[in-house]
Amino acid sequence: MSPEVIGIVGIVVLIILFLFRVPVAFAMALVGFAGFAYLSTTGASLGLLGRDVFEQFSSYPLSVIPMFILMGSFAFAAGISRRLYDTAYSWVGQVRGGLTIATVLACAGFGAICGSSTATAATMGKIALPEMKRYKYDDTLATGTVAAAGTLGILIPPSTVLIVYGLLTEESIGKLFIAGLLPGILLSLLFALTIFIICLRNPALGPPGAPTSWGKKLRSLTGVIETAVLFALVIGGLFAGWFSPTKAGAIGAAGALVIGLARRELSWRTFFEATKDGLRTACMVLFILAGATIFGHFMAISRIPFTLADWLGGLPIPTMGVVGVIAFIFFIGGFFMDAMALIVLLIPILLPVLTSLNIDLIWFGVLVVLLGEMGVITPPVGVNVFVIKGIAPEVPLEKIFKGIFPFLIALIICVIILMIFPQIATFLPSFARY
Amino acid sequence: MLDKFEKFTRRISGWFEWVGMAGLLLIMLVTCVDVIGNNLFGSPLRGTIDMVQLFQLVAISFACASTLIIGRHVKVEFLVNKLPRRAQAVTISIVSLLELGLFILIIWRLFVLAHTFQTSGEYTASAHIPIYPFAYGAALACIPVCLVFIHELISSLARVVKR
Repeated sequence: MSPEVIGIVGIVVLIILFLFRVPVAFAMALVGFAGFAYLSTTGASLGLLGRDVFEQFSSYPLSVIPMFILMGSFAFAAGISRRLYDTAYSWVGQVRGGLTIATVLACAGFGAICGSSTATAATMGKIALPEMKRYKYDDTLATGTVAAAGTLGILIPPSTVLIVYGLLTEESIGKLFIAGLLPGILLSLLFALTIFIICLRNPALGPPGAPTSWGKKLRSLTGVIETAVLFALVIGGLFAGWFSPTKAGAIGAAGALVIGLARRELSWRTFFEATKDGLRTACMVLFILAGATIFGHFMAISRIPFTLADWLGGLPIPTMGVVGVIAFIFFIGGFFMDAMALIVLLIPILLPVLTSLNIDLIWFGVLVVLLGEMGVITPPVGVNVFVIKGIAPEVPLEKIFKGIFPFLIALIICVIILMIFPQIATFLPSFARY
Repeated sequence: MLDKFEKFTRRISGWFEWVGMAGLLLIMLVTCVDVIGNNLFGSPLRGTIDMVQLFQLVAISFACASTLIIGRHVKVEFLVNKLPRRAQAVTISIVSLLELGLFILIIWRLFVLAHTFQTSGEYTASAHIPIYPFAYGAALACIPVCLVFIHELISSLARVVKR
């Protein structure tokens, strides 16, 4: 059998292992190890296994991931998410569907200091869902909004998915962060518009909350200041060249910790819980990257990425058509896999195609994150939906998935807009130093 | 007996996780000292990169078992959940065995790598810290992961044979 055929067999086995509940990281390591051993020697593959795990776990560029994850955990423990929601609620809570719009705005704000969609959905779900229940919001709208708006966490910088994408493609993480900003704002507006249209058609789904005075509205703005300061410190410092993206995460984590201490929100218990939570998530992500590295060696020796690049490059369709095909692969893959896992699996395979077609990798990174966002809210593996189900166990899963549908349309519209106007993602990065 | 084994594994993993947490917090501390030192006093912390690398190795490897126990690793759940209970147990047995095999290989290769670092006298580039103790530590930290898989394997096999 040719190396390409072995590679395809490897991919099929990988999918079978996924379906049999082998964690994505371990499945990639297993198949990568076995495939590399088959195509080279067992000794070479064994050597690679230990070295890959060691090198990924001790990789300095990868230290950016644990630090940005820790920043999100500390930000939650510091009560930043709750104050963001209170501010958004004060300003828009009293309009029709206002609580859900407030949730979208708070998620966008929290996304600016947290790089994970599940963490954003879980954090905001715990705060917003009880409020929406109190004001008799429709369960479908309420749960669908939180699950969908949570995805803003991986688009608005900092974003763990964009960090991993940047490491895989060797693109500037700073530029990728900045590239996600305008599409993140656009998507937030599209989500808010979706809610507005839903509540315009059926006002009973999102009744207005209690009115707030202008005094309270203005006072509530203090809840945004700390987020703005932390965001400005991390992203601004990156822009100004004070520190590299690798160091920005540690500065952000320390900043969130200082806010928690200044606000007297952090006890020893919450501090250790937040650290533990951040560590576990970081461990999961780094394991996926170690597995992907082992699998990547197998893919490289099988020559599949290069054969695929030649084949796609030779297709009699324009570049945007190829991008469309790749986007479709991501869209379908998203039904079955988490955004991070999907990117780690597909980007090394597709990278030669993208470079041979001269596709702007910064723009493509944002596009891929948007496609990955669809994956975290669509069945059967909509991670955010399961997170929300855990917070609101009384709401049937079908109802949450139904609530997602209008937001999925908004996401598709956002993807189309980004494909027609790539400048939305590429304009700001042209000013970035890192 | 199985319960006692599970409790033992959880306790060990919990202790290891504390080591991992210390590693994680040290990454933050060292980086902040370096950035502040560099931007305010013009003197960055020597060996920051080396320390971050080694602390990260400690943080991640020592958190492996706890992360596994709480089910944080990303997996596709929907198909196995639809299988009958016994078929689920058979699937979990096979999967646990595969995962156990993988981690035995990883531990073995990490020990081999650590031994190579020790015999060749390998040090970090700028702070000249010996690497081998950290590599041995990473190998050791993965042992509770095997214990988790052994427990999972035995309990799923028990479900397979149970009438």
